[in-house]
Amino acid sequence: MASDLLTIGLSGAKAARTALDVTAQNIANAGTAGYVRRSLSLTELSSTSSFGRLGEVSLSGVRVDHVVRNADLFRQAEARRTGSDAARADAEVSGLQDIEAAIQQARVYPSMVGFEGALQRLASDPTDPSLRASVVEAARTMAGTFNIAASGLKAVQTGLQFVAQAGVNGVNTLATELGRINLRLARAADASSDQSSLLDQRDNLLQQISSYGDISTSFNATNGVVDVRIGGSAGPLLVQGGSATALGLTTAPDGTLSFDAGGSVAALSGGSLSGQALALGKLAQVTSDLDAAANTMMIAVNTAQTSGTALDGSVGQPLFTGNGAGGMALAFTDGARLATAPAGSLAGSRDPGNLDALRSALGSAGPAAALDQLIFDISATVSSRKITQGALKAIAGNAHIALEAQSGVDLDAEAVNLLRFQQAFQASGKAMQVAGTIFDTLINLR
Amino acid sequence: MTLINTSTSAFYDRSQTGMQDLRAQAEALQTSVASGQKFTAASDNPVASARLRQLSRNEALSTIDTANAKRATTDLQLTDGALSTFASYIIHAKELAGQAANGTLTPAQRQSIGAEIASIRQSVIGLANTKDANGHMLFAGQAAGAAYTTDASGNATYAGTASAGELSLGDGQVVARGLTGPEFLTFTHNGVPTDLMATLKTLSDALQNADPAAQSIANASLDTLGSGLDAITTAQSVVGSRLAWIELTSDRRTAMDELRAGEEADTGGTDLAAAVTKLQETMTVLQASQASFAKLAGLSLFDVLR
Repeated sequence: MASDLLTIGLSGAKAARTALDVTAQNIANAGTAGYVRRSLSLTELSSTSSFGRLGEVSLSGVRVDHVVRNADLFRQAEARRTGSDAARADAEVSGLQDIEAAIQQARVYPSMVGFEGALQRLASDPTDPSLRASVVEAARTMAGTFNIAASGLKAVQTGLQFVAQAGVNGVNTLATELGRINLRLARAADASSDQSSLLDQRDNLLQQISSYGDISTSFNATNGVVDVRIGGSAGPLLVQGGSATALGLTTAPDGTLSFDAGGSVAALSGGSLSGQALALGKLAQVTSDLDAAANTMMIAVNTAQTSGTALDGSVGQPLFTGNGAGGMALAFTDGARLATAPAGSLAGSRDPGNLDALRSALGSAGPAAALDQLIFDISATVSSRKITQGALKAIAGNAHIALEAQSGVDLDAEAVNLLRFQQAFQASGKAMQVAGTIFDTLINLR
Repeated sequence: MTLINTSTSAFYDRSQTGMQDLRAQAEALQTSVASGQKFTAASDNPVASARLRQLSRNEALSTIDTANAKRATTDLQLTDGALSTFASYIIHAKELAGQAANGTLTPAQRQSIGAEIASIRQSVIGLANTKDANGHMLFAGQAAGAAYTTDASGNATYAGTASAGELSLGDGQVVARGLTGPEFLTFTHNGVPTDLMATLKTLSDALQNADPAAQSIANASLDTLGSGLDAITTAQSVVGSRLAWIELTSDRRTAMDELRAGEEADTGGTDLAAAVTKLQETMTVLQASQASFAKLAGLSLFDVLR
């Protein structure tokens, strides 16, 4: 078959037009999240020489072979994995910081020191009614701060559980959407622009799901359909082909979370859901520690009270009632009922024997030290997690930028493409013009 | 050669991350300068924060120790004053006893001396029942009621507790907060335990009742009163040394407070010079990166291609 200059020129012009379209599409989507840069793969159209016609020139121009989507599977997987880790660290640190603030801003420790100080001041004159009243008020303040800390922790717990529930709902919405994309991908024509945009959506959804929980993916090499397991490669299937399994959330009595997909346990080790679960685990421990500190304090004071004598000579009664930090309350508000004197003392005794016993019980190794230890525990946890968070964020940021650099749109490069394909179009047009001129030359032969 | 494609959004992402980091650093420094505190949350430096909590606890308790020491000082100074008065009473009684021991006096003159000694004794009992700054008995130990009670025949008996009790001065140091009556009003004379009130009562009773042995009793009481005066003086020096002890611990506490304040400032306070320099540095870098970002972002091939 012989060549046709006009057809060759036309095919070149058409290819250049398509390339210009793709370039314009790239420029238009330079800022679109999840958009992967496209390019055209062109193939030469020519027929091989057949027997007996060796040496014949048979050229037919160019054709658009397929749209190339410049996605790198490895970099995408890395961006998902590291992003998942960073989301976990973010959620955990923010939960832990809330816990720290709840304890610290309630000012429990200063109020315990205040109570200790009021007792110490009372030792200077155990029968002084104003000093006794100040001890009762300090005790009231301390009980109040314990209550505030307990309700603050409760609020943090409710907040974290709410966000986790919202996250689970988000995962389920995204998983259902991904199932739909899978169905459409199975039907889409190979290497079409339609398939490219579906793949973009698929990767975008995977990226979003991975910010909630760590996922492992397996792609169908021919049509790009993806199966997703949640909680690592051994986890249960979240999306398989067109069907999505609902992710479930179970809250234990102590407020900690566990996840499952269709009844099988999903042990999340990444993503914001995992971070919230970790923070809630720490919260459960901090809550029980705070309750223990409150109970130690109440037991120390009440034991001392009941082994002493009040100002009127009667046997001392417990100062605190209730259980745990949230339930701590005063049993009486009359300062005269503080048992400062040892058992068996007369009414109005100035003997501070029992007060001294209480003060030494509250001293260096007492409940204040336990609370100090608790604050240190939570703040040290926050501090170390922050360092981890910084590292994970840097890694995730780099992975994201590496992915963007490879699959994102570079406007300068697109400007060059625009110029190049414009010139190719003009050149093909020139070829067609030459074909016309040749035809004219032949037709005008006389 | 590997050519890394710089995508436009990656460039914007990178620039944004860098400038956000710098801004966050600058804001943290600004907060630290404005608040004077190096740490806003305990998690900024858990170890230093734990130390700061310990220091602030010690500071709060030390303030109360100071107040307690002042109370003890007041009580001991009142005790000291009362002891001086006791001493002057005894000296006066001794003078009167010396006059009564004079053989030239008539029984009537001795009777009037006896009446005067009886009134001195009443003053001594009254003074022994004096109150401290808080309205409590100064010499009754830790008892609520009067230090000395008198029965129908006028004999004075101590009704307080055996000890005055101790007051904590902080850091494990304590001081006895006062004296009980018997600690200086009861003394030993010639190996026999006796009591100032009893001595005065015996003397005044003998003089007022024109006892034939009144002169010799008066003579003997001169020595007894001398021993009583010694007991008072001894008690005064004890009180003096306790006051000195309180002052010593107060000085020590002041020194500790200064050290503590220094450590607090070192651990948790903002080093202004360092913070401001660091802030300036961060601002310079931030401005530079903003300027370079603006330049780079304005650089587009589309502007050049016409």
